[in-house]
Amino acid sequence: MSEKGAIFLELENSIKNYDKEAAIEAAKKALKMGLDPIEVIEEGLAKGLREVGTRYENGEIFMVELVAAAEAMKSAMKILEPEILKRKSERKVLGKVVLGTVAGDIHDIGKNIVASLLIAAGFEVYDLGTDVPVEKFIEKAKEVKADVIGASALLTTTMLVQKDLAEAIKRSGLDVKYIIGGAAVSPQWAEEIGAAYAQDASSAVEVIKNLIKQR
Amino acid sequence: MITLLDVVERALTGRSCYEREYNNVFSSKLKEVIKEYGIKYDPNTPIPSDNTLADDVFQAALDFYLDVGTYCLDTGRIIKFNESEIKDALKTSPSQLLFGEGMDAKIMVPRTPESKISPWCFLGAGGAPVSSEEVFLKLVEGYASIDIANSITTPALTSVRGMRIRPGSPLEILGTIRTIVLAREALRRAGRPGLPIMNALATATAAVSLNTALHPNYGLRETDGYLIAITAELKTSFDLLNKVCALQSLGYGGICSEYGPVYGGYCGGPEGTVIAAVAGHFMGVLVYRAGWHLIFPIHINYGCNSTPELLWVTSVYAQAISRNTHLLSLHLNYTAAGPCTEMCLYEIAAQRLAAIPSGASGIESLGAAKATHEDYTTPMEPRFAAEVAHAIVGMRRSDANEIVKKLLPKYTNKIANPPLGFKYQECYDTLTGKPSQRCLEIYSKVKKELEDIGLEFKL
Repeated sequence: MSEKGAIFLELENSIKNYDKEAAIEAAKKALKMGLDPIEVIEEGLAKGLREVGTRYENGEIFMVELVAAAEAMKSAMKILEPEILKRKSERKVLGKVVLGTVAGDIHDIGKNIVASLLIAAGFEVYDLGTDVPVEKFIEKAKEVKADVIGASALLTTTMLVQKDLAEAIKRSGLDVKYIIGGAAVSPQWAEEIGAAYAQDASSAVEVIKNLIKQR
Repeated sequence: MITLLDVVERALTGRSCYEREYNNVFSSKLKEVIKEYGIKYDPNTPIPSDNTLADDVFQAALDFYLDVGTYCLDTGRIIKFNESEIKDALKTSPSQLLFGEGMDAKIMVPRTPESKISPWCFLGAGGAPVSSEEVFLKLVEGYASIDIANSITTPALTSVRGMRIRPGSPLEILGTIRTIVLAREALRRAGRPGLPIMNALATATAAVSLNTALHPNYGLRETDGYLIAITAELKTSFDLLNKVCALQSLGYGGICSEYGPVYGGYCGGPEGTVIAAVAGHFMGVLVYRAGWHLIFPIHINYGCNSTPELLWVTSVYAQAISRNTHLLSLHLNYTAAGPCTEMCLYEIAAQRLAAIPSGASGIESLGAAKATHEDYTTPMEPRFAAEVAHAIVGMRRSDANEIVKKLLPKYTNKIANPPLGFKYQECYDTLTGKPSQRCLEIYSKVKKELEDIGLEFKL
């Protein structure tokens, strides 16, 4: 195996082993070797995370491993980002997604899985966390020129904020698709407020891919 | 004794860490204790009779909670307790509580595995949403008319005068007040005004709503039950502690910590979920000074707890708690299928078979169709759950295991795409409150099937 192939494999394995430190070290090594950071992501890190995403969807691993793998990839990406900027190169992503749990709701487990699976699928994800006010979704979507906004709500009382967000998106004039999910949410509710709907984390990725195609 | 002030002090001065770090420590410590104690899920034994397993899970949960503590979302700090504080709190927690008034006053007591003591039956909607005050009234009257109901769990109103309830707004406060006023009226209509309401109150997400509704003018009583949520996993917030503060200051003894550890989330698989479920009891007695506990392990994808893994979790946590403490611990079941379906009844039977012979003090039944669809709740399913719970009092765990193994093939392949069933208005005559012929036929058919595989209905 070439030196280049070996480092790609090291990067891939670091993600598959959910090992943040190893991913950071391998990314530093790759930069020292003068490798193209975009290639480092695509041939190493992303390959590993896609494999982890598949394992999750097949029920072979749980959320903890999925999130750890996504975090390892994000940490390695931080090492690579300055070089990407220096080279003025751009990573081809499937789309940019702004995600969050709506205001008044502090549940984040499902949303964290969606974020990790989206990263694994090749999306750029901006996770705003929990208890996120409507304005923050809009501001971030404007700032990063998002393709999709995703809003999660676990409670029947907080799902109303998803409607507020739908209205705010319309008012903002943003050219962005909107998807909702969460335990309290039904397809009927999504239809009522004019949003796309995902029943669970895995289907969210497919729905978002389709939304991107419609753009 | 750990007081609320001690808890608040630790929330303000405990070790600070990011929530993400807490989540990671939670998961890695779980893995460590699972390995150390050799906890292993056996798919062939959804209801184990292994006392050593139950005791190991209890000890693993104790070690685990000593290490991870509770995360306070507002301060970003960890509230920790030492071993003697945990053990003292378990010792001094009440071993019985009185709920209700008049003819419907009753004492909740603990049970042990295979106990012959009748379980507490906390029946109703499990906080499922309803579309109107009329449906709410009819439903609560229907639940209260179940003669073996010991307490009521109300549905959640979703609107006030046609306006959808918004979190933290006056609509939420008004919705909460309206919920209690209507529930008391429904109980009067059923002729059981003393029956305790024990999910006070699903509409009150924010402390300000519950605390306002505690004014005696609205009808909440000292002898009702008050659910304070543990945010998954083992987290609390000032808003939740504010509810505890109001209840403790008033001297209300019916505080319950309710906790749904998420299978497939930070808990990982069944082994982690069961340890978290036990640790949730420790957090309840220490952080909330809860007198009773309501546990609902929940599947991350399916939103129910009738899968084989979660039946095992239910059985083992109930055994761990009832063999090692005198805590009052009820199990809340969520079904994938909706009302008036055979699948919903099979799920209920399996869930009750997992909880009752394993020593749960009682049941809250139930959140049908995951308690997320408006009006998809009827009095038929909670009645059925209570009848099953009474039928299996004294049953050996090994016998329950064999029956559950016969029930699982009837529904597990449909859990991912379950039948939604029917709305209350489609299942019941809204004028007379009587179930439809279709509902009665399904109920009788499944009861007969259960009798054929070993259940003896006494009620």
